[in-house]
Amino acid sequence: MGSHNDYDVFQAIAAKVRDGRTIALATIVSVKGSVPRGVGAKMLVDPGEDLVGTVGGGCGEGEVIEAAQEVIRTGEPQMVRVDLTEDLLSLSPAVCGGTMDIFVEAIRE
Amino acid sequence: MTDAGHAPLTPFEATAEVLEAQEARHPIALIVVVSGPSELVGKRVVVRQGKGGANRLVGSFGDADLDDGAFALGTERIEQRRAPKKGVHELKPTSGPTIKVYVEAHHPQPDLVIVGAGHIAQPLCAMGAVMGFRVIVVDDRPDFATRERFPEADRVVRVDFRDPFADIPIHSSSYIVLVTRGHKYDFECLRHLLKTEVEPPYVGMIGSRRRIRAAFSQLQGEGLPKDRLSRIRAPVGLDIGAETPIEIAVAVAAEIILQWRGGTGAPLAEQERILERFFKGNEL
Repeated sequence: MGSHNDYDVFQAIAAKVRDGRTIALATIVSVKGSVPRGVGAKMLVDPGEDLVGTVGGGCGEGEVIEAAQEVIRTGEPQMVRVDLTEDLLSLSPAVCGGTMDIFVEAIRE
Repeated sequence: MTDAGHAPLTPFEATAEVLEAQEARHPIALIVVVSGPSELVGKRVVVRQGKGGANRLVGSFGDADLDDGAFALGTERIEQRRAPKKGVHELKPTSGPTIKVYVEAHHPQPDLVIVGAGHIAQPLCAMGAVMGFRVIVVDDRPDFATRERFPEADRVVRVDFRDPFADIPIHSSSYIVLVTRGHKYDFECLRHLLKTEVEPPYVGMIGSRRRIRAAFSQLQGEGLPKDRLSRIRAPVGLDIGAETPIEIAVAVAAEIILQWRGGTGAPLAEQERILERFFKGNEL
């Protein structure tokens, strides 16, 4: 129940890597406070192509995509801390109010 | 049980293992190093459960204590009957500093077995499908157990209620709801479910207080195990005042989520009491 998006991401990883692409996988590994997605949520980043899955919509996803591009360039995994605690009463729909640690790594064959 | 001497899995290899386990309908746990020596960060091992129920470690971190620790974490998550917790843990190698691993388990897609193809079964089938279940609907009436009535079901099966699960596998990912047209059929099916080799995580039975009490005293009198009887959800569903078939299906679906995720079933507003505390604060 509930983890079928994971399989979409895993299947996309397998398909893209088999095609010879290098992609990045972002996984939420720990959270604190109120965040849009829970631990385990995943997003595959194929720069210039597409995203599969989400680690929180507007909330911090930009930072993750930037990290993904760097990780693909360097091959070094990164732990990205996304802090959503500022501006709790801002009108932006992206405001959530917690922090997430997101592990970002490159995947190639 | 560990597989020392082999290399850790790359993310690509681990992904292939997860997809293969899903295909075979076997549980699997993934253990990823997220902090530690750079040659290990991003590397993985998996714990897989095969057909006989035995767990094995695939891949190795090249350190006996790390492998044992990873195997223990993975095994624990595979064997949980509830939604396994995902998260970061520390592991201590035989030598050198502690590392951090992220652990998540993947269970095969669960089955929702709806026994009785009546008016509650229809909305429950639709809800089960969107919740991610493989829905199986069974009934002994050919004009009720039809594809047309249950388009979202994976299987619609006509069965004999004297042996309803002859062709329906009942396993550790089976959620079963007994809603036949007559209490005696629910009762017959329940008796079969109390004797399955593997106890399913959820068995719910509809019925009035009087009939449920009669059923339980009869089954206990037959010597069926009291601990398994005590876990039957009867009457089925959460108390949300449900009256219509759709409302009852919502109450049942909610109870299944409660069982899987381990909530309390109470309204969050009453548990958190944020507004109540807010107003109290303002009065002072």
